[in-house]
Amino acid sequence: MRVQLNARNRGYAFEAKAGEHVLYAGLRAGIDLPYECATGTCGTCKAKLVSGRVRDGWPGAPGKKFVKPQANEFLMCQCAAEGPLTLEVSKFVYEMEPGACVPQTCAGTVRNPRPLTHDVIGFALELERPRDFDAGQFMLLAPAGVSGYRGYSMCNFARGGRRLEFVVKRKPDGGFSQWLFGANRDGARLDSFGPLGKATFDPALGKNLLCIAGGSGIAGMMSILARAAAAHYFDRHKGWLFFGIRSMRDAFFLKELSAYAAEITVALSEQDVPEAAKRDWPTLRFEQGLVHDVARRSMAGRYRDVRAYVAGPPPAVDAAIRVLLLEAKLTTDNIRYDKYS
Amino acid sequence: MSKHLVCRVADVPENGLKECEVEGGLKLVVANAGGEFYGFQSQCPHQDVPLCEGLFDGSTLTCHMHLWQWDVRTGAPLGLAEAPLERYPLVREGDALYLGGEATALDVGELFNGLPPRLLEKLGGSAKREGHPAGAVLYRPGDPAEDFFVLDSGRVEFLVGRGERTAPGGFMLKKGEVFGWAALLDGYPARIASARCLEASSLLRINGKSALRVLESDPAAGFAVMRRLAGLIARYLASSGAR
Repeated sequence: MRVQLNARNRGYAFEAKAGEHVLYAGLRAGIDLPYECATGTCGTCKAKLVSGRVRDGWPGAPGKKFVKPQANEFLMCQCAAEGPLTLEVSKFVYEMEPGACVPQTCAGTVRNPRPLTHDVIGFALELERPRDFDAGQFMLLAPAGVSGYRGYSMCNFARGGRRLEFVVKRKPDGGFSQWLFGANRDGARLDSFGPLGKATFDPALGKNLLCIAGGSGIAGMMSILARAAAAHYFDRHKGWLFFGIRSMRDAFFLKELSAYAAEITVALSEQDVPEAAKRDWPTLRFEQGLVHDVARRSMAGRYRDVRAYVAGPPPAVDAAIRVLLLEAKLTTDNIRYDKYS
Repeated sequence: MSKHLVCRVADVPENGLKECEVEGGLKLVVANAGGEFYGFQSQCPHQDVPLCEGLFDGSTLTCHMHLWQWDVRTGAPLGLAEAPLERYPLVREGDALYLGGEATALDVGELFNGLPPRLLEKLGGSAKREGHPAGAVLYRPGDPAEDFFVLDSGRVEFLVGRGERTAPGGFMLKKGEVFGWAALLDGYPARIASARCLEASSLLRINGKSALRVLESDPAAGFAVMRRLAGLIARYLASSGAR
């Protein structure tokens, strides 16, 4: 079905498959449509229907609070065309850059699911076709045939690889998380769409790297660290990572983090730092406090030439952004964030 | 004109923000920038997020949702922001702030915003105000490009190409947006697109040559306008770059 999308600066035409949500069809066509979560929460992908009909795949999506139905607004990430469509996006929309990792759908198989903590599972997705992505990006995942994608950041980095690594935290209302925790899913089939996300890192950046992660927000940071280490980035630039968890029982990836030539600090919000932690992980720093507070204390006076990446639950991300803007005085183009909502 | 009370000076914390509702229902945010007070639209021009929830350091306002930023003194967009803030001039009398009228389309627009008042007056003096009904065509490809337009209210869309082979070329909907820039450029004597009002629209029509003469009279301001014009054209025609 033909979709005509009129943006502030120009118009675009692209094809959507039956049932395919408008956002994914446009992105697949290499059009850099506005989105942030791509899964119905943030409202960034709202558009206005000028003509035609759309089917809303999730009328109760939290992001609906940002759209005005009486003005024919809808979320492109949740709605599919039911015939030719004309819609309008009140933003500047461009084509993706040459060389961008254009998102595609791809099926894959769950490999090696394993508990990392009491409420976090790690697993690999083995794709049918190789898939390039940038460090810090995420994929939308759903069990094969189940509608309703959830977004998860890749933890690894490889060009031309077929294996994507993920971590998933148990959530009481999380469809994909409940499915994954519900049984041993080794060998299960998944549908995926991606890569997505603009909180990406490339070694050509040439700046000192500050990563602040709350809980499973560490996923994308692992990819960034892997990318940086492969390029010997920390020979030339400083790197700091702050990993916020409640207590040591929530800790994972400490072995992997120990291997990096960056200054890694684990912030424990609900526990005094145990002596055993310092003894077991001599190359890591441990501090008591909320991750944005710990980062603020440690980083004071060290923000020169810094690019910051922030990921985690929205309150943790907002608190960190506040520190980076108001205290660190970073410019907004040097703050890349990913809210796990 | 009756005076509209916005708020008391003491209601706005130092280097802080306050959302106020004026009699008649207009909502605006007042910023206290080191004892100077500035009023502007209450919702982010990006996605209807209340700006009073934003981060304010005493001069720069950041919307917490997507980190768009503005200089509250001028409403000028900074960094990632793609649109200026619409300002509402405030008048202070004793311990109260009153609405001081509405900024003109020239003054809120991204091309001329913040120019010396003298210059804005001259530009405004040569502007003709026009009202057009929905469906009115302002120009077609090949028409002489002598005037440019500043949108005051309504909505204008562009089509590129001719006859059967036309394609949407974007649209303007914000007060102060400028189009028909060919009139400010050398070597572009004719329109390359058509412009049509999608709604009843109110516009300022300004002759390009006379605007250039005004800008030449103040080379520093004229240079600033030309830099902005170059940025505007790049934003419409170029790719996303390193955004």
